[in-house]
Amino acid sequence: MTGPLPPRLERELRSVVGADHVITDPDRLMVYESDGLTAYRVAPRAVVLPASTEEVSEVVRLLHGADIEIVPRGAGTGLSGGALPTPDGVIVGTARMNKILSIDAADRLALVQPGVVNARLTEATRPHGLYYAPDPSSQSTCTLGGNVAENSGGPHCLKYGVTSRYVTGLTVVMAGGEVVRLGGAGHEASGELDLVGLFVGSEGCFGIATEIEVRLLPLTEGVRTLLGIFDTMEAAGHAVTSIIGSGLMPAAVEIIDKATIEAVEASIFAAGYPTDAGAALVIEFDGTEAGLDADADRAERCCLREGAREVRRASSETERAALWKGRKKAFGAMGRIAPDLLVQDATVPRTRLPEVLAEISRIGERYGLKIANVFHAGDGNLHPNLLFDRTDAEELARVEKASHEIMSLCVAVGGTITGEHGVGVDKRGYMGLVHDEVELDMLRRVRRVFDPGGLFNPGKVVPDAVDAGALPEVSEVAS
Amino acid sequence: MIAAQPLSDLLPPEALASVDSSPLFGGRPPEAIVRPASVEEVAALLSWASREGVGVLTMASGHRVAPVTREGRFVALRMDRLNAIEAYEAADLTITAGAGAPFSSVTRALGENDQWAPFDPADVAARSLGGLVAAGESGPLRMGYGELRNHVLGARVVTGDGRTLDLGGRVVKNVAGFDVLKAVVGSRGGLAAITSVCLRAFPRPEVDRVLVRTEPTVRAAAGLALAVGTAPVLPASCVVVDRLSERGERAALVVRLHGSRATVDEEQVRMERHVGVPFEVVGDVGTGADAASSESTRRLLEGVRDHVKSDGTVVVASVRPSRLPRLLEVVDRLGPLALSCDAYTGLVRVEADPERITELDLLRRDVIALDGAIRQERISSTAMRGSADPLSPHDDRRDASAAGRTALARRLETAFDPAGALWPART
Ligand SMILES: Cc1cc2nc3c(=O)[nH]c(=O)nc-3n(C[C@H](O)[C@H](O)[C@H](O)COP(=O)(O)OP(=O)(O)OC[C@H]3O[C@@H](n4cnc5c(N)ncnc54)[C@H](O)[C@@H]3O)c2cc1C
Ligand SMILES: Cc1cc2nc3c(=O)[nH]c(=O)nc-3n(C[C@H](O)[C@H](O)[C@H](O)COP(=O)(O)OP(=O)(O)OC[C@H]3O[C@@H](n4cnc5c(N)ncnc54)[C@H](O)[C@@H]3O)c2cc1C
Repeated sequence: MTGPLPPRLERELRSVVGADHVITDPDRLMVYESDGLTAYRVAPRAVVLPASTEEVSEVVRLLHGADIEIVPRGAGTGLSGGALPTPDGVIVGTARMNKILSIDAADRLALVQPGVVNARLTEATRPHGLYYAPDPSSQSTCTLGGNVAENSGGPHCLKYGVTSRYVTGLTVVMAGGEVVRLGGAGHEASGELDLVGLFVGSEGCFGIATEIEVRLLPLTEGVRTLLGIFDTMEAAGHAVTSIIGSGLMPAAVEIIDKATIEAVEASIFAAGYPTDAGAALVIEFDGTEAGLDADADRAERCCLREGAREVRRASSETERAALWKGRKKAFGAMGRIAPDLLVQDATVPRTRLPEVLAEISRIGERYGLKIANVFHAGDGNLHPNLLFDRTDAEELARVEKASHEIMSLCVAVGGTITGEHGVGVDKRGYMGLVHDEVELDMLRRVRRVFDPGGLFNPGKVVPDAVDAGALPEVSEVAS
Repeated sequence: MIAAQPLSDLLPPEALASVDSSPLFGGRPPEAIVRPASVEEVAALLSWASREGVGVLTMASGHRVAPVTREGRFVALRMDRLNAIEAYEAADLTITAGAGAPFSSVTRALGENDQWAPFDPADVAARSLGGLVAAGESGPLRMGYGELRNHVLGARVVTGDGRTLDLGGRVVKNVAGFDVLKAVVGSRGGLAAITSVCLRAFPRPEVDRVLVRTEPTVRAAAGLALAVGTAPVLPASCVVVDRLSERGERAALVVRLHGSRATVDEEQVRMERHVGVPFEVVGDVGTGADAASSESTRRLLEGVRDHVKSDGTVVVASVRPSRLPRLLEVVDRLGPLALSCDAYTGLVRVEADPERITELDLLRRDVIALDGAIRQERISSTAMRGSADPLSPHDDRRDASAAGRTALARRLETAFDPAGALWPART
């Protein structure tokens, strides 16, 4: 069933969350038609914005009773269509659940609502000498609920690990509105199954996380940032292997390719990278001051040995920001050279980076597409960005074909189809590359463990014969 | 009704070991001990067991397996023939090995490239890779390196009804589908039999500095440990033991700092300044350290790690670190013969006085009041007491959602093992 909500249900929802927090006006719904994967757009029937666990529970109970699908949503920065509405569904957004509930400095824990923006948690804990480690490049906007659902990473996850390492407990609203508390610091000895670990990365398909307990780390004392300039992408790739292979433990190792450098330098975000370079490598070390210079020296030697033309080193926070600028502003800069951007995401064993990057560039040539690479090289986590215009259906078809080839390539060298952006709707079609039917069936069974009726985010993550038709293919949307 | 099929129809004779009457199973031996040499044989066994209604007790050495108190037919599944190092990609820092491979052999292989897997739960040297992952215990080094579950990159497992699943992969970042692998880590043979595991490896730190501070009581040492826990540096581990015989049988706080020599020197200064007391440098392990001192330091570390002997009546309890002093008071009522405490996670392991273990149910109430958890880890083979299945997980919290949590766990077990073939998954 699509169209407006039954009036009685709408009234009930408004009485739970407040009249202003149920959005049904088509103009206001437009904002929610897509997430960061803009090629797909579907209008939701309504958006509900609860403010507490109790309100979420009541809202879910009402929607469940009316058999209406629920799509959880944080900030909508997801890049795989996880928060894309379903045509019959209602969005339950966490925008009003943005409170940091407690900071326990002695135990280095924080309890937050899911709508808290990632960067805000670090700002709030800094006065305690603490910070929240996972730092997606979208951290100034994305929410911790979204991070939990996607098991997000970020540049510094090379050293510190991704979201799942930091989530110790969750409060979750399940399909019938039931509230379940999973894990929690201090429950180490319980011997229970790791339901927290299983929930992290569930992409809104298991339930809505309404409270999140995370571990914090002590602020690091010092940082050293290097920028290695290379003539070729291949040399930069070898430098990554050489740095990691030397036993160094950098906090971040990010690659920016030629196409991205050109885009950045031609934009208002110009970072002073040489435009004739084949690739740039941002390398960062953090930790106790003593020893950082020695680490930076060793990394510099690795770069020079692999043929770096130049290695710059930041000597102030301003210079550090400048070295990072090309990396951080890459997506914004690409917006200038093409109307649409498909941020691909895949992981390969680090040592295979040079050959995979060379092959991706050949795929781009074969399909006549511009592909710009900017990614978490230390983890082997690629982000080939395919630039296109979604009003051009023929080009869009080439984007899809090229994406498929890139995914097959990554899988063939021992990698996988997504390292941090999730499957959502975008990667459903590629799941068969990494999972056989038995495994896909297992994923469906596990989903039913949490959500037997398939109320949450149907059609996402696991290709399912029953709901495959529920969401349009990208080319249909565009045409 | 199809006639019962004998196991010997399915498996080659080499895969069927003779059954000894080891006390391992609590005096009730299995009808067969199966030692498969391939994942296919494991799958054949489990689908057979599911069809025939026979229980399967998965084990490596079997020393962490509960005494069998259940009724009904069962076989033991031993993984020791699945013990090969299948792939070691040193440059990618990943290693894949059969579940039956001794963890020590994995460590040895990694050591050849100056790498290691930083997991140090008690008895780790005697564990199999699969047993370690099934137990899901990281050990105190999780303070500096994170938990085991975050470093298990992939595993091949066979579900209770014989389906083979490749979970995860061989890359460090992977979100292609729900993270089912996380649930298998720590599931103690209750969801699936693990046949091989891919682990993330780490470069060995240049220096592994071991610092000790002895104190007259465990509580005093724990107080210092909490101070270390708020220092502006993150040690690799921070452990309290109730006595360290090398140091005159006093309670001790043992802190490890990992990194380059310059880093470790400075972190030690910063930590001591924060805590307000000096530590004794027992020694450095690692390149450049003096060989003899390195060896004696290594022995001290092993002593600390295995301080609570696993063959006793072991109880584990946990609370948030800041509540450790109160938890220590509670477990004191077990008349601890040995105690160790991981200050980072607030986890205490005690070898209880077998006469006092009956107190456990009373202690549970106090631990719940601290919002913690307590469980008996192992029954000594000489003193088997306690409730019917004392090693099974307890959901200690009596909060409103306990029932919901238990229901989820049961449904998850059913998704993996519809016929309930895997023992000791359920009571
Ligand atoms: C410029 C840019 C850079 C990015 N860089 C990175 C990066 O470095 N690393 C990285 O990992 N990702 C990155 N991303 C992707 C994205 O930011 C992350 O996936 C982020 O975690 C999404 O958070 P969100 O709040 O926007 O969630 P949304 O996009 O709103 O939702 C994402 C998914 O989470 C679900 N969800 C949201 N809240 C909840 C909840 N409370 N309970 C249950 N499910 C919920 C939704 O249903 C959906 O499936 C980037 C995106 C952009 C646009
Ligand atoms: C010769 C020898 C003698 C020992 N003697 C003693 C002793 O007397 N007392 C003592 O305390 N310790 C003893 N140990 C040490 C003890 O065996 C280890 O500490 C540890 O318990 C063994 O772990 P494991 O890997 O063998 O796992 P196990 O003890 O076999 O199993 C641990 C848990 O994991 C599950 N499991 C194991 N493997 C798998 C798998 N592949 N897939 C799924 N689930 C699995 C089991 O079902 C169980 O729940 C001894 C070790 C050896 C080698």
